Formats: sequence, C-alpha cells, structure tokens
Amino acid sequence: MGYITSLFVRFAYFLDASSSYHRAKEFCRTLLEHQHSRLKFYFDIFMVILVVISVFFLLYEVKNPDGHPHLDTFVQFSLIIFVIEYLLRFWIHSDSHKIFLDRYEYAINNNLPFSLMRALLAIVKKKVEYVISPLAIIDLLAILPSYRPLRFLRIFLLFRIFKLFRYARSMKTFTAIITEKKFELFTLAIFASFVIFTGSSAIYIFETNQNPKINTLFDAVYWAIVTMGTVGYGDIVPVTTEGMVVSMILIILGVSTLAFLTSIIVSSFQNKLIELKESRLFAEVDKLEDYIVICGYGRVGEVVAKMLHEDGYKLVIIDNDAEKIKLAQQRGLIGIVADASKSRILGEIGVGKRASQIICATNSDELNVFITLTARSLSKQIIIIARVIKNTHKKKYFLAGANYAFSADETIGLMGAQYISQPISYAALDEMLTENTGVIFDIVTIHEHSCFVNQTVEALGLKEKRLILFGVLCKDNLLPFQFNPTPDFELQSHDMLIIMGRKHHINVLRKLNDKGSAR
Amino acid sequence: MKESKILLFGFSRSAIEIGARLQAQGFEFTCIDNDASLMPRAKKLGFDLRITDYSDDEILIGLGIGEDVKFVFTLFEEDVHNVFLTLSIRSLDPKVQIVSTTHTKDAIHKLEIAGASTVLDPYQICGKRIYKLITQPEIMQVIDATIFGEEDINMEQITITSHSPLNGLLLNECYPTERYNMLLIGLHDKELKKEFVFITEGHNHKLDHGDILVVIGKSAEIERFKMDFSL
Repeated sequence: MGYITSLFVRFAYFLDASSSYHRAKEFCRTLLEHQHSRLKFYFDIFMVILVVISVFFLLYEVKNPDGHPHLDTFVQFSLIIFVIEYLLRFWIHSDSHKIFLDRYEYAINNNLPFSLMRALLAIVKKKVEYVISPLAIIDLLAILPSYRPLRFLRIFLLFRIFKLFRYARSMKTFTAIITEKKFELFTLAIFASFVIFTGSSAIYIFETNQNPKINTLFDAVYWAIVTMGTVGYGDIVPVTTEGMVVSMILIILGVSTLAFLTSIIVSSFQNKLIELKESRLFAEVDKLEDYIVICGYGRVGEVVAKMLHEDGYKLVIIDNDAEKIKLAQQRGLIGIVADASKSRILGEIGVGKRASQIICATNSDELNVFITLTARSLSKQIIIIARVIKNTHKKKYFLAGANYAFSADETIGLMGAQYISQPISYAALDEMLTENTGVIFDIVTIHEHSCFVNQTVEALGLKEKRLILFGVLCKDNLLPFQFNPTPDFELQSHDMLIIMGRKHHINVLRKLNDKGSAR
Repeated sequence: MKESKILLFGFSRSAIEIGARLQAQGFEFTCIDNDASLMPRAKKLGFDLRITDYSDDEILIGLGIGEDVKFVFTLFEEDVHNVFLTLSIRSLDPKVQIVSTTHTKDAIHKLEIAGASTVLDPYQICGKRIYKLITQPEIMQVIDATIFGEEDINMEQITITSHSPLNGLLLNECYPTERYNMLLIGLHDKELKKEFVFITEGHNHKLDHGDILVVIGKSAEIERFKMDFSL
C-alpha cells in the first residue's frame, strides 16, 4: 500500500470517527433537505426572498446600467449565499469517505488488491451525478453569469427564478406532472414538430420567390409556429393559393395539438390535485407531536373525538368513508380518507413514531384486531385502546397487543342488571360514568414536596372539603390499589389519591397539594 | 310455565350480556325475538327464549304486560323496532319500567318521547370510556377492576327500614359507615323527588325509613353493616 493510499485511508477513518463532522453534515441535511424540518422551512423562505429581490435587481439594472451601491452589496451578498448553498449541496449529496471506506474494507476483507484510482473514481462519479442533476444545473446557471468574464450569460440570471422550484413544494408537483406525462408529451411533441417541419417547408417551397417576407427557412418556421399556435400576428401572410391551403391545414392541426396538450395537462393535474391535498394533510400530521390516532369515525369515534377535541388533545382521524371524514374536517379535525388496515398508512401518519395513542373504534372486530396488531408491530410503546364488538373476541385483542379493550355490551349488561336489582345505585353509577351532575372522579398525585407526605389520610380533612377518597394507588407497593384506606393510612410521595367530588372542591385539595407548605 | 317479571326484547349481544348478569343474580327473565334461528344459541346459554311476533299488542298483553311485568328491555339492533316497541308497551302499561338501547343519536330523544324510562346508548358509553382511558387511565383501571371487575368491591343500595337504629338520625351525626371498610357514596331520599344525591353535596340529611343509601365496599363488609343496623 502506497504512502498516498494510507494517507487517504487514515483521513477517511478520521472523518468517520469525527462526531463534529457528522453533526455538521447532519445539520446541513436538516437545513437543506429534510422535508419536514422547521429549519428548512425558514431557510426556504429566506432563499425565496433572496431570489425574488435579486431578480428584481436584474430588472432594475436594465434601465440603470450603473447600478446602485447598496444593491451591489446586496447582489454580492446573495451571490455568496448561492455559492455556499451550491457547495453545501454538493457536499451533502454523498458521503465520500463512506464510499471510500466501503471499497477499502471490501478489498481488505476479501484479500483483494485495493485500487485508489477506482475508489476515487467512484467518489467523483457520485459527485458528478449531483452536478448534472437538473436542479443543480439551474443553481449553477444562477451563479455563473455573475462572474465578470461570463457577463454575456446575463440572461441566465433569470434562472434564479427557477431556483424557486427548490423551495416550493407545489412547484415540485408541477414538475412531477410534466415528468409523469413524459410519454404523452413526448408523442405530442414529435407530432407537433412533424407538422411544423412539413408546414414550414411547404410554405418555404411555395412562397420563397412570391412572398417578399419569406426569405429564409427561419422565416418559414417562425410563420408556421405563429400560425399553429393560433396567434397569427399577420406580419407574414401567404400570398399564393397553395400557401393559403397550407396555412388552413396548419391552423386546424395546430388547434387540435393545443387541445391535446391542454387535456393531457388538465387530466394529470386533476389526478395530482387529490394527491396534493392528501400530502398536505400528511404534512399537517407530520408537524404534530404526541397525538392520538382514531381509526373509524363512527358513533364511538365521533363521541371520543368530540370530547378529546374540546379538551385540546391533538387528534388524527382515519376512516375509509369520505363522507365521514368530510364531517370530521368540518368540525375542525384532521381527517384522512384511508384504509387503516394498511400498515403503510399507519406508518405514514406516524404510528410508531410521533403518535402516543391509537384508538381502534371501527365497527368490525376483524378490522380492530388487525389495526391493533399492526400498530403494535410498529411500536412497542404506543397505547392501544380498542373497542370490542363481540365480547367473545375480547381475548384476541389482548393477544394482539392492545392495552385496553372493552365492549359496550358488557357495560350495558352490567348497567341493565343493576337497573333491575338496584335502581338507585344504578343512578349513582350512571351519574359517575356520565358525570352529568358535576360530581367527578379525579386523581391527585402527592408531590415529593407536598405537605401531605407522611401525613395520614385523616389529616387531609376530606369530609370538610366535601370529597370522598375512593382509594389510593401506591406506585411501589405490592398491593397497587388500596380501596378506602383507614384514617391512619400514611401517604407517601407519588401516591395517587382517587377522589370523588365536585371539580372545584377537588381543585382546592390540589392547590393545597401543590403549595407544599403546611396548612 | 311460570311467568317471569322481566322481559328482554331482542336477542342481541347486549341481551346476552344483561341476561348473563341477571342469571348470575338469580333473576328470572324471558327473552323475546321473532327470529327462530336464534333458538339453539339461547338453549346453549340456558335462556328462556320465546319466538313470537312482538309487534302485536295482543301478544304483548299475553306476555303479561299491564299485569305482572315490571321491567322491560328493548335491545334490538334497529332503532325502529325499539321505538315502536317502547311505544306499544307504554300505551299498554304506563307504570312498567322500560330500558331501551339505541344506536343513533336521534333515537335517544324519540325513545324518551315514546316513554322509555332509561335510554342506554352503547356508543356514548363506549366513547366516554375511551375518553376517560386517555385522560385519566388510572381512574378507569381502578373502576374497571373494582366496580365493574372481578375484585370483590361492589356498589350496593341499602334501604333503611323502620326498625333500624339509623331511622331518624342525622347523617352528619352518625356517619354510619365510619367503622366499616366501605364508602357511602350518596343517598336517595324518599321525600325528595331528586333521584340521587351525592354525599359530597354536603347536605345534612335526616335518615328516614324508606331512604336508600348507596355504598361501595366488599360484600362481606356490606353484609356486616346491614346486620349491625338491622337493615
């Protein structure tokens, strides 16, 4: 191994081990490429403003060739930014040291000779790939004309406008449409050029000597395109009968070509529009953190969504019924028409990443279990709450990984039976569950610094505060739930008191707990 | 065949759940549906299912409505049946207790107009529970484990009898549950019209015979309490 090669290898390993190098690169990637990063968003806005102002300056220069001192500084500044941006993009396009090391390690591990030249070639190839990509070419053309000797390329400064493509997503969609319909557009272009070629050569042949306006083949092509585009300036008009026939045919063909072109683009746009809307929604979801996914916007989903929405929880609703989703959207919720049983959909809306809980509330056990299973496979942490339709299937939900599963029928059964045997306690149960009268269950967690630590339950004075202590949940006790603790039960920090009472009475207790000083 | 006092119309999933609980508590009841194919299922569960046309008033009278039937459940999957049945039964007997289930929001109001004593909305209940699970998971787990669940902590109502020592006492003075491992949640006063008053409302209450206390606790404790105060 030559001296130079070992130098390269050592340098590559050095880069690979350097955390600051990785951090810097990661930062640049977030800034320039990460679709959903805040940083990129601000950077994009900044670049758009820069581009627009620099183009305006170009227009200003037309009438004021001497320029303006302030604006000149600005142009220098924007140019520097553009150059830096170009170089950064060039840098982050590929990890050269990785390519190098991959090849090197492959050679070492397999006892093959390592060729420095080949490795460098691979690196260069990767970089050239960037340089010849359309957006990079636009970037380059937006910079180059500022270099004095290339002043004649000034018009390319207008390419800066094309730079906007980089920063606006909807512009990208437009390019996507064009590339998607490449085949159709290509066919049409061939047809159009055939027509233009025939038309212009015909007029050239028929009229060159009769018509003083048509002297060169360029005149003929110009005339053919102006006619075909139904513009017809009238600066060149056919004077012979043959010429007139040619123009008539040309106009008809031109109109039909344009009609084709329009229809291709419009139909493609319509398809894309739906996707665009959807991607907007997904982008909205991407901005959320720690939200709840509700699968199925039936009656249950509706009730849950309404209450959670009022409490300020962040929700994402999926249902494959467009009508229902429309309803959800009208209520100000994020709704996506999608099949929740597809793991791709769940992954796209962030189950397994940013979603904290998922509620399976469709009206089919099969679907609910399937969603449960999919969600669990995507994330170990996510809390899954499932609605069981048939009580006999309940076990399957827990097998699939649901945290909570229950059926409404079960509750109905309990309440129905209670209604018959004990109508008054049924009423109490009903009130407790619906909380219509304002008496609620709530949790007060004892802080470390709370004045209640090491106090007895009696010292809380719950009776005077018009509260009932239903029980205490102890974090590290063997017996997790202590129902109705005795008055001398000693409270520890992190104990959770389950309290029944009116909200403001509970808040009094909570404030005392928060204060931390003696009563 | 002995006529039971409870009728369950509609052999649905909720009917099976209610039936199972009633069975466990030793109540006798009859299920009614017009679908004969449900018969084997009912036999398996040990339910008394009758296949008959419930839309006919004659048959309803024949089932004992207006006579000895005290509770009726309408548990059909379709709201139309529930509303119609509720209306028919109410027209035959103004006093019978009718518990209806519903599947759409609009039907709740209709059932109330039709004369249902209580409307159970499974979706509402389900939604509420999910909401509670998200906002206060610990509470829901505790309630599920105790009142709804396997653990021997139940909610019970105790009627004060005329010969009980509690009769005539002020609630704040005696505070009867203090020496028992149970909670007094609230009570129902015979004289007051209001259905149920939570103890946390803080009214000092004079206990009379006929008043009903609602307590939560271990069944053994509740029994002990009942014995001690000869209730």
